[in-house]
Amino acid sequence: MDVVDLEGLEVRLSNRIVLKGITGALRGHAIGLLGPNGAGKSTLIHTLLGFHQASKGTARVFGFDARRDRSQIRQQIGYMPENDSFIGNMSGVRFVCYMAELAGLPREEALERSHEALFYVGLGEVRYREIRTYSLGMKQLIKLAQALAHGPRLLILDEPTNGLDPMARQRMIQVIKEIRKEGSIRLLISSHLLRDIDETCDEVLILKDGRIAALRNIEEERNSHRNFIEIETIGATEHFSARVRELGCDCAAFSGGRIKLVMPDNIETTDLYAIASDQGVQIRRMSRRRDSLEDIFLRAMGSEVERMENVGL
Amino acid sequence: MSVYKHTYRAYGGRITPLWTRVLVLARYAFAEAWSSKITVALFTLSLLPTVVFIVIIYVANNPIARALIMRGSSREFAIDAHYFFLILQTQSWIALAITAWVAPRLISYDLSDNALPILLSRPISRFGYILGKLIALLASLSAVTWIPCLLLFAYQAYSSPGPWISDNLRIAAGLLVGAVIWIAFLSILGLALSSWVRWRIVATGIIFAAIFVPAGVGGVMSAILRTRWGFLLNIPYMMSVLWRRLLGAPDFMRFGGSLPTTAIAAMLVIICMASVAMLNARIRAREVVRG
Repeated sequence: MDVVDLEGLEVRLSNRIVLKGITGALRGHAIGLLGPNGAGKSTLIHTLLGFHQASKGTARVFGFDARRDRSQIRQQIGYMPENDSFIGNMSGVRFVCYMAELAGLPREEALERSHEALFYVGLGEVRYREIRTYSLGMKQLIKLAQALAHGPRLLILDEPTNGLDPMARQRMIQVIKEIRKEGSIRLLISSHLLRDIDETCDEVLILKDGRIAALRNIEEERNSHRNFIEIETIGATEHFSARVRELGCDCAAFSGGRIKLVMPDNIETTDLYAIASDQGVQIRRMSRRRDSLEDIFLRAMGSEVERMENVGL
Repeated sequence: MSVYKHTYRAYGGRITPLWTRVLVLARYAFAEAWSSKITVALFTLSLLPTVVFIVIIYVANNPIARALIMRGSSREFAIDAHYFFLILQTQSWIALAITAWVAPRLISYDLSDNALPILLSRPISRFGYILGKLIALLASLSAVTWIPCLLLFAYQAYSSPGPWISDNLRIAAGLLVGAVIWIAFLSILGLALSSWVRWRIVATGIIFAAIFVPAGVGGVMSAILRTRWGFLLNIPYMMSVLWRRLLGAPDFMRFGGSLPTTAIAAMLVIICMASVAMLNARIRAREVVRG
């Protein structure tokens, strides 16, 4: 079953169309939501939670309609908002227990799982302190704990590493990876940090100006350009490059014996070694270049052409 | 999850019915309201008039005690509709003080810390959220209004020698209805005003001001324009008129005539509707971005 299914979803806020008829199915285990500011990421999340009504089209979460079945959807979602969101005069454990009870856990279960969730995210030692006394990183973690405590099927994290120092960020990423590895929770992570999505997600939805700019499986996308190779050589580089072009490869030679080439599918790396041997050229290093999430993102944003021009192939 | 293993485990246990989530909100709100020492102090204060009223009822129904205390005075204690009007009025103004203190505690913590996106991402509606808070406030105010009033009525019924209760059932009904109207009105108004003010102490002041400032304005209007309709802004006066009519006590005849009951009811409904509109505008799962 699709985690999120969007069909011509249009959302208007104050007479401005924020989401412009987006259609797509999100099936990944950990789905990244990327896009520049104002692209509609938070609006999409809020629409899935039923905070905003769709003016056209539908949004479904696990098959439940976001407009009609809000309660069923919210029952299965854990939501960690982007900004500070807590009750400052409550202790950590009381706050998480409160949220778990509101999500439907009986009182005793809610209390037990609140303690567990707080230990799990690393706030076990401060769980009896009032939340207002927590540091920024702790506040992020308590938002994660309350989103996890009731055992949701889908965990929505809106900018989970927002404002965290490198150590706290690493801790947050590690927790997200562990949740993903455990397997019972699907993740929808909105972030403007490509690195966060790159480290945690297997699918990415890129929004631009209220429309879907790309919906990709990150791993498949990385592997789709696997024939882009960089090599470092010593010897008659010009002759080597000419022979490689004769094979049908796009090839560009740079100073210092560096060569970048794109191999057609029918050419193997052994062919390159054979040519090098014929020409008396040593291949000192060969690396396959994999597409980074940044490449995928920039392509989706329409900047890839400009970027490729700068490479100077 | 496990405390010892620190690993995540999915939850596969029982889920409570949806309607009980409102009661969860009410329970936490009630606990929040009564966690304050000032709330406890106000509640204790509300018991003092009740004790005085009990003593008066005891003396009124006990000839020996009356003879000891009155020492030859011919003055009679009449335990009638007017007496219960005084009880209801006294307890109702204590209820106002409790509302002004408690209502901001119920709602402004959630707003100042931007908790609504998290609260409303649970399977609970905005209506359910407000209802939960209202239940907590109504329960707190009930403890100082209709419950002591009816207990005093029951004590009078028990103490009076004659068949007093059968002749005065209207007083009991009036106490209940009058107190419930007042605490429902106070609760809605208190929550609505609290939802628009970030600082609790300011919200407390605004709740008092919302009751007494329009009363002053209405009084000035009535005096200048020589009309009774200015008293529709005077909530204390309106409620006194309403309570007297509900209890069957003699009506006010000052200021050249009283207000029609329908006008009072309409004014209360209008204020409640305005309060609901304020809550509707404010209680939303939107995020506050702090600069």
